[in-house]
Parts: sequence; structure tokens; C-alpha cells
Amino acid sequence: MIEATHLEVRNLTKSFYGVPAIDSVNFDLRRGEIHGLLGENGAGKSTLCSVLSGLYRPDSGTVSLGGTPVHFRSPLDASNHGVGMVYQHFRLVESFTVAQNIVLGMHKKQRPRTIRQVESMVADLAEEFGLHVDPTASIWQLSVGEQQRVEILKQLFRGAEILILDEPTAVLAAQETDRLFEAVSTMVAKGHSVVLVSHKMAETMEYTDRITVLRRGVNGGSVTTADTTPAEVARMMFGDSKAAERTNYDAAVEVGDPVLSLTGVSVEGDHGLMAVDDATLMVRRGQVVGVAGVAGNGQRELQEVIAGLRTPTSGTIEIAGTNCTGAGPKKTAQAGLAYVPEDRLGVGLAPGLPLEHNIVLKSYDRSPHSRRGVLSDSEIEKTMNRLIDSFDVRGNRRGMRVSLMSGGNLQKAILARELNEDHQVLLAAAPTRGLDMAAAEAVRSHIIDERATRGVLVFSEDLDEIVKMSDVVLVMFKGRIVGSFTSDELDLDQIGLLMTGSGTPDTATDTSTRARS
Amino acid sequence: MPRGVTGPTVRFGVPVGALAFALLLGAIILAIAGNDPIEAYRTMFDASLNGWKSQSRTLALATPLILTGLAAAVAFQMRVYNIGGEGQLYLGAIGASWVGLALPATTPAPLMLSAMLIVGALAGACWALLAAIPKAFFNADEIITTLMLNFIALSVMNWLIFGSRSFWRDPRRPVPGGKRLPENAVMPSISGRLHIGIIIAIVAAVFLWWLLRKTSWGFQIRTIGDSPRAASYAGMSVRVKTMAVLALSGALAAIAGVSEVSGVTKGLEPIALTTNIGFTGIIVAVVARSNPLGVVPVSIFLAAIATSGSRLQSIGINVEVVLLLQGLIFLTVTAGEFFVTNSLSLARTDAAETGPPPATGNGATEIEAAV
Repeated sequence: MIEATHLEVRNLTKSFYGVPAIDSVNFDLRRGEIHGLLGENGAGKSTLCSVLSGLYRPDSGTVSLGGTPVHFRSPLDASNHGVGMVYQHFRLVESFTVAQNIVLGMHKKQRPRTIRQVESMVADLAEEFGLHVDPTASIWQLSVGEQQRVEILKQLFRGAEILILDEPTAVLAAQETDRLFEAVSTMVAKGHSVVLVSHKMAETMEYTDRITVLRRGVNGGSVTTADTTPAEVARMMFGDSKAAERTNYDAAVEVGDPVLSLTGVSVEGDHGLMAVDDATLMVRRGQVVGVAGVAGNGQRELQEVIAGLRTPTSGTIEIAGTNCTGAGPKKTAQAGLAYVPEDRLGVGLAPGLPLEHNIVLKSYDRSPHSRRGVLSDSEIEKTMNRLIDSFDVRGNRRGMRVSLMSGGNLQKAILARELNEDHQVLLAAAPTRGLDMAAAEAVRSHIIDERATRGVLVFSEDLDEIVKMSDVVLVMFKGRIVGSFTSDELDLDQIGLLMTGSGTPDTATDTSTRARS
Repeated sequence: MPRGVTGPTVRFGVPVGALAFALLLGAIILAIAGNDPIEAYRTMFDASLNGWKSQSRTLALATPLILTGLAAAVAFQMRVYNIGGEGQLYLGAIGASWVGLALPATTPAPLMLSAMLIVGALAGACWALLAAIPKAFFNADEIITTLMLNFIALSVMNWLIFGSRSFWRDPRRPVPGGKRLPENAVMPSISGRLHIGIIIAIVAAVFLWWLLRKTSWGFQIRTIGDSPRAASYAGMSVRVKTMAVLALSGALAAIAGVSEVSGVTKGLEPIALTTNIGFTGIIVAVVARSNPLGVVPVSIFLAAIATSGSRLQSIGINVEVVLLLQGLIFLTVTAGEFFVTNSLSLARTDAAETGPPPATGNGATEIEAAV
């Protein structure tokens, strides 16, 4: 069944603002195979797919279809060449019917004359591939699984022979996932080729013929699924155990009393689904606890519930001995939480306001910054100048909105503000994301310094960084804390497996970090 | 690159340049229409700004505009769009005239006027809360609700005078109209039509500037206006502030109504009160970029253009040409303001090249023109 190369990518490079998102990537897709494309967030999967589907033009390198080099000028051009992409976030018009959505944007000459003809063709196509959906129904009436089928039908209708599915199962329930893969099997049986973008190990191992891993924009390796093991793939994704050694920061500090403890905390996400499920963890004075996990596994909700921005549906949160469950952001901060949020501009900082405003964002209403409700500009400026000096924040001009400052300086400004407050524990989310080396190192050293007298809970998608900084590593998957490792028993292979949802959960659970009552 | 900091050259050069440009364009139009541009401009200047008589007329017209402009500006500071200044103004007029007519005519003027101001402001604040509460609790779009409340307020006022024998209506007048306010309920005149309302308006502008720039309350308003998520993160209550700001905005628009009913119409006169002062206040706030201190000169500028209109007609310039000229001057100066905060950059666009957008926060604006 598997024959010649259908799509071939050679030395593909694409940079954004001088930073390569993918660098000399090679990839080949054989006719009639399901090819898994794996990698962490930011590994370059989306960039590669966007080049293949005509959304981006590569800086260098070639894409060939059946041996002929092609240069897609637009997604429409790619579609005309038989390459179709199904995005994780659907691109459908809610108030249009299935048939209308399928022909939307097609040229008059390419589509049937009447909508009736379209409907009957869609019905035939749906029958052929087992993608059952009513062509006359409006999109808003359909379930998420059905909407995804519409997206796939749209590409098939346009003659796609290569289908790129971007994390198709992220939005699906288990049953729908099975039906999706049945349809995908039918497609490949009929000679279509499928690229399956994913970071779930189990489904990749089960359904794909081959796997290509991207790691930080470069090839991490390609293997035949039948000849590999989840452990090997995880190693390709996250690097091998030797590569990420714990950085030799000051010798271990004496571990003290708990400064943050969560007991059985569950949180609902934005769409009413359980985003955090029964999370129990503890951070002690003198400890850096790192939470590893692929983005979207409940980390954001967990951070927000600790910071008091969300109310848990169950469980309790204590900060330095004070019960802060559902206490709101202000009381939580007063209890001793310093919080560096994931989103620097827009959450951590008000982007359109100057630095002096942002530096007192949490202390503007207290002495010396204000007295009886009246601000003291000179005191605020004093605080700003002091923090600019001690945290080496650069690039500020009087009255300039902070959004014009660089990412590293923004992060230092947030750290300066948060660490200047009285606090017992620091919660830092993706603290070095997008920063250059020097700024990242500065931020990391500030975080490590915290360990001397306080506790730190740090979230990062970068496993290396978590390992470098943390005394205890927790792994989050689908809202649950599925693993816990102390720095001397770190098993990167095992962590990689847990992050992708395979491996045995709760191995090596360190009781000292799990508060059981 | 967006403009982070604006220097004084840009700050004052642009409006002056825009005004010169408008006058030049206007001169061409006047010449085409067969009028003498120099004579027309001298007449405009004489009518609005030359001499105390003209100046006081302009200031009298500017008084309610300053107040409705402040009403819109304070809400804009928090990105709340109060389009209901017009209706809140009517409520202020209704409330103030009720106090003026209900209290004994012998009540001392300071007491009488203070009571009118307080009750009028409260009426406007409550009217604004009708929109603020649904916004705070159900996120109902305040643009729609405040706008709709204008029509209700107008109907209420019309009904009080034209549709019923209400307390406000003077039964002895053959044409329906409001009862005249007693002497002590009329704001003392400064000169001609100019009354002490102008002082109230300027004091309000300075107070509002102080409130927004120098207090921790204003700090919160500015934070929420820039980024509600950052504000929640810092522990501020967006809901409470939304209600407070809309109520304050409603109160300010209502004070414009108090000032008009007490200082100008001297009784609840629906026709004289419905001159779109509330809506014009929105334009004032936009041009002043929501700065309370900017509202004062912008209102005066707008009032000057308006007062010169009738005089232009009296020297034989066609009314359409007058309106065209007024619109042109205002539009050009307003458009010039836009380039004080935004800079123009030309960028080549490429159909397939749609990389992630640069990380500009909200508020950082950059206009890209495709070439």
C-alpha cells in the first residue's frame, strides 16, 4: 500500500524577526501513510504545517509534490495542488450550512452550479469516508466532532490528497476520536496521505505508520512506528537524560515550613470542563518546585486559582498558613503570594501605561505611594528608580508606554514589582519564554535567589529549564498532577512519557511534596 | 513605530498646522462660491473671539459643552462608552427645575442653586446607572443602552411639558412651556448670556483632571481603561468601577442640564434644551483625547466655530457654504490630532506573508498603508 514519496521537504527554514522557527527541516510523506508529527510547543510543528498549507513562504528550502518542486503562494494555491489543512480551531461560518461552508471561497468554475448539487456531492463524500454529517444543517447546530468532519469534508471536496490534521483530537471525546481515526484509515486506504500533528503519545503510537519529531525548530529524528517505543520517541522530543543536568546553583538550602499548599483543588475551565482535577501539592521554604507539562493541560487555570483569579470548585489553598481559597487576588497577594503571570503585557502589565504606573500596580494605594487616596508622584518615582537600578531594567523613558520595552526588560520590571512586595512564595509562569539568553539567565538567577528565604513554584513548557532550576519536578497532564520527582531521582524519559500521557502515572511519588491530610 | 512620547513641537505644531491647512482649503471654497475669504475669516474672528462681547457669547455656548465633554471623557478613560449624555442632561434639567419650582421662592440663592445642582446631578447619575448595572452584571453593551435611554428621557421631558398637566408645565401659557424659575433659582449672569455655569464647568474640569491623575481612584480607572485583565490581576474591582464611572459621567452631563435650565432657559423648555449638546460632548471628548483639561479649549474652539456661523450668513454667505466651512475646520483639526498619537508607516504587503503580528499591546496603534 505504501508507495513512493508523496510530499518531500528539504532543508526548509523559516524565521520570524530573525529567529528561526524551523531551521533546515527535512520531512517526507509517502503516499497512503499516516505520518505523525510530534514536538513540544514551539518546536516548529505549526510553522512547518503553515508552510505546507501555503500560509507562510519559506526563507529557503524546497517543498516537492510527487517529485516536482512547488511554491505555494496562498492556502488556495496549496489547496489547488491537493494539500489541505484542518486547523485545531475551526474556520467555519456559524450561521451557514455545511454545504455553504464547504464551497465558501471556491471559484465559480470549480464548484457545482446549485447548492443542491453540492449537498448531494457532500452526502456522497460523507458516505464514502464515513464522515457522517447532514449537509443542510447549520454549523451552530453541530457538535464539535461534526464540525471537524465538515472541515475534513471541505478539504476532500476540494480534492485534497494530502491532509494535515492539526491536533485533531484535542477537542474530541474518546468515542469521537475512534470515529475520526476510522475515517482517516478509509482515507489512506483510498490513497490519501495524512499528516497527524500531535503531542499525545498514545494515539500517535497507535495510528501512525511513521513518526517525525521536531525539537526546537530542527529535526529530532524520524522512525517507523512499528519499530519504536514511546520511550524512544519521548527522548527524541525532550532530549536525553544526559543533556539536561541540574545547574549547579548554591548547595541545597535547608527546607523549611510550607509556604504554599494545595489540597484536592479542582477548577473549572472557561468552557465548563474540569481544567484542574484534584491537584495536591506543597512548596516549602527553600524549595523550587517546577511544574512540567505540555501547554493546555490545566497549568493556566492552576496558576489562576492559586493567584485568586479563579475560585476552585473544591479543595483548599493555603499560603504561609493563611487559607486563601477563593479569597481574590488582593487578599492572596497580601497573604504572601508574588505572581509573575504567563501573559506579560495585558495581565502582568498594563501595556499602554508608563513604567512608573506599572511598577506600583499593586502598591499604589498604600503608603508611601499614596496617602488618603492621593498619589505621591515623587515617592512613586523614587520606588521606580530604585527598582530600575536593582533589577537592571533598561529602555524606559519618562511617560513612555511599557509595551515599547523589550520582553526581557518587561519581565524584569514585573519581577522587580512582585519581589519588592512582602511575600513568602513566588509563583512564576513561563518566566523566560521569548527572552534572549542574557535576560533569561538574569530572570532565572532572581528566581533561584528567592529559594534562600522563600519558596518558588515555577511553570514552564521548557523541560530543560524546569530540570535545571527545580528541587522537585511535578508533571501535569489533562489537569492532573501525574508525577512527582525530587532532583536526585529525576528520570527524564519517564517525565517525557508522563507529559505526553503515557507511562505509569504517579510513579516515584515523593510523599514529602504531596500533602495528605 | 508608534509614538510613545509626544514632544511639544508635535503637540502644538500639528493642531496649528491643521488649522492653517483648513483655512487655506476653506479660502479656496469661499473663492469658488464667489465670496471674499479674507472678509469671511475676519467676520468669523470678530463674531467669536474679538472683543469681550463675542468672547462671552462663545464662552456661554461652551459652558454645557465642557460639561458633556467631561462626562464623555471620564467614561472614555475607562473605555466605557457613554452615549447617553443627551438623556442624562435632560434628567439634570428635569431634576433641577423641580427643585427650583418646589422650594419656596424665597430660599437664598446659594442654597437653592446648590440643591438644584445636587438633585440634578443625582437624577443624571441614576439615569446612567440604569445602563451601568446591566453592564456591570450582565455585560450589556452600554453603547446601546445609554443611547436608547436618550429617547426615553426625551419622551419623558416632552410628556411633562406637552403631554400632561405636570408640575413643570405653566398652565397659563397658550403654547405649552415650563413654569419660569424664581429669581433665586437662576444662575447669576457674568455678562450677557454668560453665567456662573462656566466657572462650575472649569472647576469640574480641573477637579476631574486631579481625580484621574493624582488619586488612587483615578489610578484604578486608568488601569482598567488600559487593560481590564491587568486590573483584575492587581486586585481591582472592574464591576464596581464601571458603575461608579458611569454614575459620575451621568452626573456631569446632568450638571450641563442644570446649567442650561437655570442659566439659559430659566424653566424646563424641551425645544431649547434639545440642541444635541450631549452628543456634541462625545465629539469634544474624542478630540480632547479624554483629557479633562483638553476638553475646555476644544469646547471653546467648537463654540467659536458655531457662534460665527450666523454672522457669516448675515454678510451674504450661503448657509451651505457656512456649514461646509465649519465642518471643514473641525474635521481637519480633528484629523490632525490623530497624527499626534499615531504615526504613518508604509509597509509592503505580501499575500502569502502573514507572519505573527508584532507584539504591540492595545493602545499602541500603528497605521499601515499598503503600497
